[in-house]
Amino acid sequence: MMIRTLSSVLLFCLSTAAAAAPKVGQPAPAFTGIDAKGAMHTLADYRGRNVVLEWTNHDCPFVRKHYGSGNMQALQRDAAAKDVVWLSVISSAPGKQGHVSAARADALSVERGASPSAVLLDESGAIGRLYAARTTPHMYLIDSAGTLVYMGGIDSVASANPADIGRAQPYVRDAMTQLLADETISPAVTRPYGCSVKY
Amino acid sequence: MHLLTLLLLLVGFQGALAADAGPSAQTEQVELTLLAERPEFAPDRPLWLAFRFELAPGWHVYWRNPGDSGEAPRVSWTLPDGWKVGELHWPVPERIPVGPLVNYGYKGAVMLLAEAHPPDGVTGEATLQADVDWLVCRESCIPQKARLILRLAAGSTAALTDRDPRFEATRARWPVALPGQAGYRTAGDLIQLAVRQTGWTPPPGTSVWFAADRWGPVAASQPQRWHMHDGDLLVDLPAGDAPPTADDRLGGVLVVSEQHRGQTLTRGFVVDAGFTAGPPRPAADLPASTHLVLVLALAFAGGLLLNLMPCVLPVLSIKAMSLLTHGGGHAARHGLAYTGGVLLCFTALAGLLLMLRAGGSALGWGFQLQEPLIVVALMYLMLALALNLSGVFALGAGLTGIGQGLTERRGTGGSFATGILAVIVASPCTAPFMGSALGYALTRPAGEALLVFVALAVGFALPLLLLSLRPGWRRLLPAPGPWMERLRQLLAFPLYATAAWLLWVLSQQVGPAPLAAALAGALSLALGLWWIGQDWRQPLQRRLPALAMIVAAVVLAASASAPTTAHKAPDGDAWSPQRVASLRAAGRAVLVNFTAAWCITCKVNERVALSTPDVRDALADADVAYLKADWTRHDPLITTALQRHGRSGVPLYLLYPAVAGEPDILPQLLTEGLVLDALARIRGVNP
Repeated sequence: MMIRTLSSVLLFCLSTAAAAAPKVGQPAPAFTGIDAKGAMHTLADYRGRNVVLEWTNHDCPFVRKHYGSGNMQALQRDAAAKDVVWLSVISSAPGKQGHVSAARADALSVERGASPSAVLLDESGAIGRLYAARTTPHMYLIDSAGTLVYMGGIDSVASANPADIGRAQPYVRDAMTQLLADETISPAVTRPYGCSVKY
Repeated sequence: MHLLTLLLLLVGFQGALAADAGPSAQTEQVELTLLAERPEFAPDRPLWLAFRFELAPGWHVYWRNPGDSGEAPRVSWTLPDGWKVGELHWPVPERIPVGPLVNYGYKGAVMLLAEAHPPDGVTGEATLQADVDWLVCRESCIPQKARLILRLAAGSTAALTDRDPRFEATRARWPVALPGQAGYRTAGDLIQLAVRQTGWTPPPGTSVWFAADRWGPVAASQPQRWHMHDGDLLVDLPAGDAPPTADDRLGGVLVVSEQHRGQTLTRGFVVDAGFTAGPPRPAADLPASTHLVLVLALAFAGGLLLNLMPCVLPVLSIKAMSLLTHGGGHAARHGLAYTGGVLLCFTALAGLLLMLRAGGSALGWGFQLQEPLIVVALMYLMLALALNLSGVFALGAGLTGIGQGLTERRGTGGSFATGILAVIVASPCTAPFMGSALGYALTRPAGEALLVFVALAVGFALPLLLLSLRPGWRRLLPAPGPWMERLRQLLAFPLYATAAWLLWVLSQQVGPAPLAAALAGALSLALGLWWIGQDWRQPLQRRLPALAMIVAAVVLAASASAPTTAHKAPDGDAWSPQRVASLRAAGRAVLVNFTAAWCITCKVNERVALSTPDVRDALADADVAYLKADWTRHDPLITTALQRHGRSGVPLYLLYPAVAGEPDILPQLLTEGLVLDALARIRGVNP
């Protein structure tokens, strides 16, 4: 608990020190986070592997659109199969919508059949602010050299209607495919849509 | 089974509403109604429709660009054959912060209008169906939807009075065309939007911000700054996720809010800016930090210069010696005590000035260089101080003897008192410097004013402090001599130059006659001061005529800054209650426009609603007289008239019917339609 508080404080200090917003083509901001199982993760741990960051809030209708339909879980399985690290980040502040305890976060993953590599509990909002995460879902893709290669929405149709998933352009799925095929990712920056992150 | 339940739950959570098969739908947060401006439609004539959202307190819906998160309402129409409906028109949004994020949207109630075009030759009834999807949020968000059905009957052109007045009121909230050309420049993370040839002078308290019409170019939650430069409005915008490139145009709404005496008026302007090559221009009009540093350096130098004045330099070394001998060796402490005394005296004076100023502004005085009275007063002050330095008259020479005893006290207290008294004792010479600092500080913010006085104090105290630390440096002091008097007279000329500059500022603000009055007053003041400076045998001989001349100077100053009453506007004659009464008695209706030069909303209203050809024609047809009441200088007669109608500021638009009756008060945000409707109503009243 003490370590968690201390690291939150440290993270907060680090995050306020880094002022620039993340940019595609630049090194992704280095973060440190603690997951639902208590393990610490840093971006440096995953140097050499591709990483997906997914901001989430299980009560947000836009997040429910993708989890309820199985779309997000399918993406996560896809990522796992391709050795892409998937980190779900919960930046909701205590008392706000989406904030969960470690145990509840694990239970949610089981309930929904989700398979992220880890769920980072970012209740101070430090990682969220570092990445200027504004919505849930807000997606970032980082390549194996630590460069940010995609940031924005999960797909092209900004609605809470699951029926729209089929007709939307799947930005994140395409980005992963392009990254693994060593192609240029296009579009690399898209509009993130969803509920606001509850800092 | 699990999936099916989930899907059903999802549908339920989406807040799908059972179609009332009617034009309105209700949820816990929103009441949505589809309205038509007129109850009947005429074939081949456009008809305005509106989606009226009435929101529960705390909840909001979104603008076309929702900002950092959220979704704008979307409409999908099912129309009878031949019907067409245009895009939604969005009123000017407000900024809604959600933690560190910012959304653009509406609270309370909003109407989104769309223009419907019935086809030719259609008769009977038409049924329009709109499927609306929207997101309503407070802390959390709820996506909702409704199917609205509006039945309209074909009919002849309805009378004007059958139009729903809320439509015109909503049109007043639409952004209007920008007065001026817009372009943007980029540099790294900064986008600078420039609006040229605005002809604006935004008063204090105006807020300007830019809402881009889509996601990408501008970050919604980062701060924006704006300033005027050479008549151009410059807005510094933080680049968003997808900054514009040279091929892109920057579109959106520039939102300008004016504050005056407690009321806020907001107007939006449509921006379509093209890329301009070149770097963004830095803020030049605001006192940048370099400007402040320069002023402080000047104040410090002024303080140092003070030590070379005839009434200070000869006694400087003596004072230093007295500090040392009385101090018994703790020279540094005494030097610091002296410095403390000087600082206290100067800051106390600055504090007094600021308190007076605050008290004055509570009374409604504005100590700004926009007020001619302040300019004239400052000009007279600079002139008087310059004349003092030139030797025309002496200030406070009798004070030199005071406090000698105090300075001879032993101990740190004595040195402290010496410091304080040094300021007063040296007052014949400090006055011009203090006066200039005072004059400058009067128009600056409190912090700056204090700093100026502190810098002056430090400059003044520094030589003595140094002497107390290094007595040996006494040798470096210049020997007193006639050169001191020459220096003093030379230093009068910067003050004369300041007076001349203030005269130039005044010439920009008033006409030739008030300017002549100000000059005559300056002459009278100079004469009065010279009279005081002469060697008279009897005090009355000196005082009376001088007083008379100074009073004359004050009177002339007041007349120089008096507001011009009969202000002949390009269109619209000058207002007065008598004129209104006589015009009404003659059987004419009167439209009165209460306006002011610094009121942007007033100017915009004049441009979009009062000066248009249609309105001018309507005024002429109905034989309505148009009067302007110019409140630029806070004419008390106009203030009373405003208060009588429950207003504390401009704009105010009154339409008086002929002969008798209460005036019609028009809204503060005008459209051409609103004015034409009001004129038509007046015509209905006057046969």
